[in-house]
Amino acid sequence: MAEAFDPAEYAPIAAAAIALPLPPEDLGGVIAAFAVLARVAAPLMAFALPEDIVAAAVFTPDDGSAS
Amino acid sequence: MSAGESLCALSASVRKGERSAFETVEAALARIAAGDGAVNAFTAVTRERALVEAAAIDATRAAGRDPGPLAGVPFAVKNLYDVAGLPTIAGSHIDRSRAPAVRDAALVRRLSAAGAVLVGALNMDEYAYGFSTENTHYGPTRNPHDLARVAGGSSGGAAAAVAASLTPLTLGSDTNGSIRVPAALCGVFGLRPTYGRLSRAGMRLFSASLDAGGPFGRSAEDLAIAYDALQGPDHEDPVCAGRALEPTLPELSKGLEGLRIAVAGGYFQSQGAPEAIGAVERVASALGISRRVELPAAGLARAAAMIVTSVEGAELHLPDLIARAGEFDPKTRARFLAGALTPGAWVSHAQRFRRWYCRELTALFRTVDVIMTPAAP
Repeated sequence: MAEAFDPAEYAPIAAAAIALPLPPEDLGGVIAAFAVLARVAAPLMAFALPEDIVAAAVFTPDDGSAS
Repeated sequence: MSAGESLCALSASVRKGERSAFETVEAALARIAAGDGAVNAFTAVTRERALVEAAAIDATRAAGRDPGPLAGVPFAVKNLYDVAGLPTIAGSHIDRSRAPAVRDAALVRRLSAAGAVLVGALNMDEYAYGFSTENTHYGPTRNPHDLARVAGGSSGGAAAAVAASLTPLTLGSDTNGSIRVPAALCGVFGLRPTYGRLSRAGMRLFSASLDAGGPFGRSAEDLAIAYDALQGPDHEDPVCAGRALEPTLPELSKGLEGLRIAVAGGYFQSQGAPEAIGAVERVASALGISRRVELPAAGLARAAAMIVTSVEGAELHLPDLIARAGEFDPKTRARFLAGALTPGAWVSHAQRFRRWYCRELTALFRTVDVIMTPAAP
């Protein structure tokens, strides 16, 4: 079974991967904000999508009125 | 301009010469000078420009030409819209050092072409990432109905300026509710158009795959006449639809006849306060609406929008988050920093969910024209 996810452990490591400094005075707020994202992401990630649902852009030809 | 006067009536009186655009705009500037101190809706007032443009409207009429369907209507815009001569600050301290815009945003130009007169720029949450317009750099915008309360956000200045009768028309923007929420909290009308229906050229975006510009006004009719002036393709905004104009003002006189209307059930009946849900029920009852429809997985749609927004907003500002995070508003900084840390799988799944949700709602809207929900919980 996967270990429980801990935003406090994850945030500094992920920030380092993109060279993003996390000032100590902001760390608590960042962890709290990321925990909110993690909470809403969990049921979304558990929602199975059909494989034919793709995120690619859709080309829709316009009616020629654009200049 | 009386407090309840419609934009149609105001512009008609200017077009007929019953009053001048100049005196109409002067009166708006006087109201802003007298009333904005308490509300704090404006971050800039374009007085000189407004008076010059108003005089030009009067000159056009005097020459026998039509000054347009919004002749002499004072308007103001959320300060993420480009206004020639002003830096586009988008509620930030950082962007104050940007060069002034060299021309107006597309929607500002369209309102001006219709005869409306820009009188200023309006307060907002920094980079549109908020719902309260409690901006640390420029102060909070207060709700004109109760100055101890928030106006909502992120287009709080745009809603409060209309609610306080400082100006009858404003423009805001909406990513996940930034027109709908402040309109509801300030008791005015707001329209978030379908994504891609109005040009965003010259707007400082927040989350490019969700952002839309739109008007605030004092009635559905005011929104309709403004929306009709704002419509149209624009090759400068790659997501702006190339569809022909669809005038809405003539549709209003048709009333509800033939419209299929329903109240949203499920998620929308469980997430709001009883007062908000009760308000929708009273409107439905007055209109004789009893049908209920369920929007599938609405809570997950909100989650997907939150993830997409946080990632796109953070990526847009990543260089500044790395180099000068301390200059961000403390009220938005943690959210932007957290958005930069979001795993790619969440983002891709959120975008795929969005496609699925779009397909589901397209099917639903084949059976219904209007779905009523509370605008804010």
